[in-house]
Amino acid sequence: MAELEFSNLSKSFDGLPALQDINAQIASGEFVALLGPSGCGKTTLLRLTAGFEQPTSGQINLGGNTVAGPNSFVPPEEREIGIVFQSYALWPHKSVFGNVAYPLEVRRVPRAEREARVKEALALTGLSAFGDRMPSQLSGGQRQRVALARCLVFDPRAVLLDEPLANLDLALRASMHEVFSMFHRRTQATMLYVTHDQSEALALADRVAVMEAGKIRQFAAPEVLYREPVDCFVAGFVGDGAVVSAEITGRSENKNLILKVLGQEVQSRSATAEPSHVSIRPEAITLSSDAPLRAKVISCTYLGGRFRLTLDVAGETLIAFSEHRASIGESVGVTLHDLWAFRDPDADVVIAKSLAHA
Amino acid sequence: MKALPKSRGSSRSLDRLLPIILLPIALIALGPVARLLLEGVGFGDGFTTEHLTTVLTRPSTGTALQHSLITAGGGTILSILIGATFAYLVALTDIRGKGALVFCLMIPMMIPPQITALAWMQMAGPSSTILKMFGLAPPLGSPQPLHSPAGIILLLGIQHASLVFLTLRAGLRMIPADLVEAARMSGASSFRVWTQTVLPLSMPSLIAGGAMAFVTALGNFGIPAMLGIPAGYATLPTLIYQRLVGMGPSVLPEVAVLSLLIGTVAILGVLLSRYVLSQRGFGLVGLSGNPLALNLGTARRPVEIGLWLFIFVILALPLLALAATSLIPAYGVTLTFTNATFDAWKEVLFTQPVTRRAYANSLMLATGAAAVLLMISLPLAWLMERRSSPLTRLLDGLIDLPYALPGVVLSIACILTFLNLPFTDLTLYGTIWIILLAYLARFFVVMLRPIQASIAQLDPAMEEAAASVGAHLGRRLRDIVLPLAAPSAAAGAILVFLTAVNELTVSALLWSSGTETLGVVIYNLEDSGETVMASALAMSIVLLIVVLMGIVQAGANRFPKGVIPWQS
Repeated sequence: MAELEFSNLSKSFDGLPALQDINAQIASGEFVALLGPSGCGKTTLLRLTAGFEQPTSGQINLGGNTVAGPNSFVPPEEREIGIVFQSYALWPHKSVFGNVAYPLEVRRVPRAEREARVKEALALTGLSAFGDRMPSQLSGGQRQRVALARCLVFDPRAVLLDEPLANLDLALRASMHEVFSMFHRRTQATMLYVTHDQSEALALADRVAVMEAGKIRQFAAPEVLYREPVDCFVAGFVGDGAVVSAEITGRSENKNLILKVLGQEVQSRSATAEPSHVSIRPEAITLSSDAPLRAKVISCTYLGGRFRLTLDVAGETLIAFSEHRASIGESVGVTLHDLWAFRDPDADVVIAKSLAHA
Repeated sequence: MKALPKSRGSSRSLDRLLPIILLPIALIALGPVARLLLEGVGFGDGFTTEHLTTVLTRPSTGTALQHSLITAGGGTILSILIGATFAYLVALTDIRGKGALVFCLMIPMMIPPQITALAWMQMAGPSSTILKMFGLAPPLGSPQPLHSPAGIILLLGIQHASLVFLTLRAGLRMIPADLVEAARMSGASSFRVWTQTVLPLSMPSLIAGGAMAFVTALGNFGIPAMLGIPAGYATLPTLIYQRLVGMGPSVLPEVAVLSLLIGTVAILGVLLSRYVLSQRGFGLVGLSGNPLALNLGTARRPVEIGLWLFIFVILALPLLALAATSLIPAYGVTLTFTNATFDAWKEVLFTQPVTRRAYANSLMLATGAAAVLLMISLPLAWLMERRSSPLTRLLDGLIDLPYALPGVVLSIACILTFLNLPFTDLTLYGTIWIILLAYLARFFVVMLRPIQASIAQLDPAMEEAAASVGAHLGRRLRDIVLPLAAPSAAAGAILVFLTAVNELTVSALLWSSGTETLGVVIYNLEDSGETVMASALAMSIVLLIVVLMGIVQAGANRFPKGVIPWQS
């Protein structure tokens, strides 16, 4: 296993930037998810790591060696990086056994050892009974596991997964989550997992890199992303809740800033003294009948065990959880606590725009 | 922690070496055509327009050009009538047995033209075996009706009807079914739907198919040679043949001009059709979902009978006549059950050294061309799809040329190029190698396109997966791309084989004693009056071709769309 390092990595296609100035370090054995909407550059980063694309500038180090840089480029077949494709890319003319054995054939591993290692990989992925099948005779989940076994068998330095669950149904996804976690525990492989599904990223990864428009917006543990997003994009993309603009009062209390949000003065955690927005998670809202801040219920959905309410407060939309059903149009009182404030990099632009319009 | 393995170096270098194969391929495929263009302006003896003016002002040139235009034009009109009727009925209506009908309509295209001509000649005229059997033959001494411009037009029309059919049917499949449904909802009858919706929308493909039929008919040598030469009716290809056979290589500059003339007419034909197309282009919006099936109602059975009767007349009847002739003991004898004999078959297949040699030559050339093209097409198709560059795109655009140009043009081009090999005293003229090289140039696209289609369909992730597990380029091509493209490559190889075995035009100009091909021998046997043996040989080739077509057909559903020419 090896650590993975991107420094000042950029990639353009026909002059259009797909990745800009990516800097990140992934520790040996770490499970990292690349999360972002389609077109954000996450797959490009994965393909650069695999060696299918060459960077426009910057460099990639794997285990201390430069695999792509200004003067060097190690082709994919010499990087010892395994990859699981969204389409699985199983070779249709080879049996399950043949698919899994191919990496070892290429490495000229002696037949006896090869068979033993393939059997071990098939056993680990629960495919022992399917060695003689052709890929076309397998279900989606089984194909996924063959792709995983094919990666596992040659003991790669890192494993890349490109939206591996996108083609599976919901029930299968849940069981594949466990397969991936087990795979990671057993192999202790450095893993890079591309997905646009935040629940997948938050559930599986040690750390998540949230990407947008070719840049990493935030790279942190799932709970940090959720509780302390750095900008409006991350706050809105990861987790449920609302992002609302905030005014600075200049005062603070118990290391918390006092901000004016929706006309109310509230305490807020913050990493900066001059925040522009607050992230209001559903847990940060307590509903009561007598709170001074009034909200109107717009919709009410049952989630099992609790209700998810969409509220309208002074023109802003908030999300709250409630133990009781609320009727549409009903007026409820809202109390805010434990908010997280941040300064959005685009805030200056937004302010300048609103000034121009005024 | 493992250190990265030391770079093996091989994979990168192969990636760099592979594009080098483009050069010899471009030379073989396009060199002769380029050489021919140069010859027209007197390359070698300084720039001169002397040959150009001599040849173009000679009366025989004008007559042959006129004959070419009349026969090719008439043949094209006939092809359009036949091909369009079949295409509209097969693509738009609910007639039954479409697959079998299409397969039968395609057979004339795959049968060598000189065999078609021979078969038809056995069906008409005073010596027709089949007419004699029924006592219908015209009296001895009356002329062979097919030895005439009308005969040439008839056979050219039948031979190339399938080109119109295929192009038009492909176009009809693109017409969104909802357009027709909309017309019917507006109250239009089936006939009005056809005249007012389908016909205008399919006109572009009809014109494109007509242009293909015209260019192919213009370059056809077998039919005007068999039917026109005995009647003293020369077209441009037969004029070139007669000059070159009569005078030898000394007339090369002259025939080069003639072949350039054919090439020019062919290209003008294509340009004209492109111009007409551009004038009436409209985009089609919508999904070409379910195929159309207009209900013919009570007319269905008569239409089906009519179509099959037509197939019987253009395909079965001539072949029966050919078979009948191949079984008589001597030409002119009436076939009966008692005198039917396989003597001519035995003679032609086992005894005659020329025919045995021709079989060996043709099979060798066809196998050789198929094998060589198979080996170079796979890496080339891979390069074109996966490492596309301006150079590969240029080659992609030009590689159709040797196949699209009339065969006579390519033959002359090959003679010019290989008569004196550059930088040596060697000549390939008169050897079998010049025929092989001409076949390689001519049939390149036949092999390349199916492989290209299947590599284009191949998920690039298949190769990337192999790269990520450590397979370098050579192994990826061998272990992943080759097996997955194999069915299409096999289909392509069989098609090259089929077309090469059939081939007469190119080899008619390039053969010499010892390097005869089957096409040449059939022509020579007929020319020297050995009609019975010619028929037996022709019949054996027809059987070979139908079997090969059947093999390709049997694997039809394993190939990507468009690989099999008779299943667009």
